[in-house]
Amino acid sequence: MSNNQPRIVGFLCNWCSYAGADMAGTSRMAYPPNIRIIRVPCSGRVDPLFIAKCFQRGADGVLVAGCHPGDCHYVEGNYYSRRRFALLRELLDFIGIERERLRLEWVSAAEGKRFKEVISSFSDEVTKLGPRKDL
Amino acid sequence: MSKLLEKEKLLPWLEQLAGERVLIAPTRVEELTLFAPVKDATEIVLDYENTALSPKEWLFPSTEVLFTIARKDSTPELVEKTIAERYVIFGIRPCDAKGIAALDLPFLSEPADSLYAQRRAQTALIGMSCLKPAPQCFCAAMGSAPNDASNVDIMLTEVEEGYLVEVVTEKGQGLLEGVELKEVDIEPPPCPDTAAVPAEGITEVLTRVFNDPFWARLADRCIHCNICAYVCPTCYCFDIRDYTAKGNTERIRTWESCQSPGFTRIAGGYDPRASKESRLRQRFYHKLCYFPEQFSGPLGCSGCGRCVVHCPVNIDIREVITRAQEIGREASAASG
Amino acid sequence: MSEDFAQQIREKARELLEKGEVTCVIGYETGTDGRTARPAFIYDAADADRLVFDNTCTHNLAKYLLNKKGQPTAVVVKACDARALNLLLGEKQIKREEFFAIGVVCPGVVESGWMRQGETLQLRCQGCTEHTPPLYDFLVGEPAEEPAPEPSYEDVAEIEGMELEGRTEFWAKQFERCIRCYGCRQVCPGCFCIDCFAELLDPEWVGIRIAPPEKQMWNLIRAFHLTGRCIGCRECERVCPVNIPLSLLNRKMEKEVLRLFGFKAGMSPEALMPLATYSKEDKLGIGE
Repeated sequence: MSNNQPRIVGFLCNWCSYAGADMAGTSRMAYPPNIRIIRVPCSGRVDPLFIAKCFQRGADGVLVAGCHPGDCHYVEGNYYSRRRFALLRELLDFIGIERERLRLEWVSAAEGKRFKEVISSFSDEVTKLGPRKDL
Repeated sequence: MSKLLEKEKLLPWLEQLAGERVLIAPTRVEELTLFAPVKDATEIVLDYENTALSPKEWLFPSTEVLFTIARKDSTPELVEKTIAERYVIFGIRPCDAKGIAALDLPFLSEPADSLYAQRRAQTALIGMSCLKPAPQCFCAAMGSAPNDASNVDIMLTEVEEGYLVEVVTEKGQGLLEGVELKEVDIEPPPCPDTAAVPAEGITEVLTRVFNDPFWARLADRCIHCNICAYVCPTCYCFDIRDYTAKGNTERIRTWESCQSPGFTRIAGGYDPRASKESRLRQRFYHKLCYFPEQFSGPLGCSGCGRCVVHCPVNIDIREVITRAQEIGREASAASG
Repeated sequence: MSEDFAQQIREKARELLEKGEVTCVIGYETGTDGRTARPAFIYDAADADRLVFDNTCTHNLAKYLLNKKGQPTAVVVKACDARALNLLLGEKQIKREEFFAIGVVCPGVVESGWMRQGETLQLRCQGCTEHTPPLYDFLVGEPAEEPAPEPSYEDVAEIEGMELEGRTEFWAKQFERCIRCYGCRQVCPGCFCIDCFAELLDPEWVGIRIAPPEKQMWNLIRAFHLTGRCIGCRECERVCPVNIPLSLLNRKMEKEVLRLFGFKAGMSPEALMPLATYSKEDKLGIGE
């Protein structure tokens, strides 16, 4: 975290949440600039290794966003990611990376406003958590 | 007549050294005894057989930047590394000192490894001879002894009145400047025994038993971790990789082990030591056959016994040597 | 008791080898310190007398079956080890018809190591909830009729209860000693990837450095790869040369998996582990 600006990495699924973020952008909605977005085909493609690599390299927070359960473009990918990240958060918290630093959200392609709200609230929360204690 | 350092003078002397150099001494961490840098002499422990890890990491670190290539306005510039610190390792056992002497052979032969050479020149060794070797110790069979002072700068031997001080090198003499030693007429205690291992002639025997099925049977239980190589005072295999960030490149060297699956895998996928048997056999051949042949000298094992203590499945180099000798004799007898 | 168990194991081994039903029996024998056990590979019925069974038989022998693919092999398994057999069967790493499990109703093993045969049972044995192996072809010992007590996660709870700074400091201190020897990985029956993520160079997830960020990532991800799969033999912790309490990580995840999915690894070869499946109705406190 430099100048109190958290560094957040976002893994956004191509079909829903990335499109939602796109919509936020084209609608000129203002949201914090400290997220770096990586587009993936599905939230279920997000390997815990990606998350851990982000934290290893000093990220303050990681957001994984996918389609709403039931609406996954690949039918079931987001069900897997829900289980995966529920468990990963616990392990991260256990070793000293607060569970609030990893967030899983469902954002659909039409939810530009929701994306702005998600990233704003996540950025606020991570800022409040302060710099990483385990580094 | 010998020189004696009285007991209560030991820690003050070490603290004085710690003020001038980096003092590495045995410390207790969670029931383990480990060599660590020490500022406060009260952290030093004196009741140990040997440390869990060898002190080789102070000359050959587990991770090290070899050099950096920096970019000055898009011109690459090699930034060589110099070791500024001076070290003193206190409490090193003869087996570990022999280990360092063994590491000197690959690292200091021309062209010498400049970082190892700097550290080596800037490190003084204060040995502590062993009064009570552990069941796994076999230094004598490997050409050293519990009181072997040949590879340290000063050898201390504990007696009731304090520590007998044997100054071995000029570097050692320098460490004792300003230290008051008493002249005494005390005999050093007799050298204790260590486990007998039939190591005589092992190098030659191994050249004859390479294809014996014994190696495959031994490898059955090996799990091919890196524990034996990493705790060993004489093992020195390493891995090197370059890492570039923000235009600067660092060349990193880390410990590795010939036991690892894939250690000898090369581009294209071929692996000359793909089998468990070949990898495990390599460890013993390197230490007991190739190393002494390459350097015309000592075995690449100092008899510290750490591999015996830490191997999860009890692969015991002493058992291997004994069995190899037996097989060698059987083979000789068979061929008449 | 242990002499009687050893006798039964020897007789069975002799029988299997003489009949040619297996080419090798993997069991325990006494090591070079004369008092603690080590894995033994018996190929000849005449050598079956080397086999022992005592309270230092801590090793999980199930993983050795991965080196014996295509060769009918017998393996001596305690209850925890038999769970590893179920895990490997479920993940299609071994074939049921290729091994013969000599199950032992194990009363527990002690803390042991070179020249060290402890007095107290290992913590995992103290908390053992079933002493009868869930998988066996031949059973040594009487199957125990026992109530299944609740597993205890006191030491995990102790870490969970620490303040964040305390937890961070605790793990930083533990991981500092790690030398990435991979003893934990090599001994673990759940770790059998041909190319472990920690050693991949392209993509490079961890890197070769033996330094704090890499060590944290190594231990973190290994624990995650074992989530819902770790069968609790705690061999990883036993073999660690620098005494890192690794099982805390694995049991933290065991606790979470039990809490969220009511699942315990290795009880049957068919059960799908939680991360390999899903339920549409999952309510996990995330993504809501």
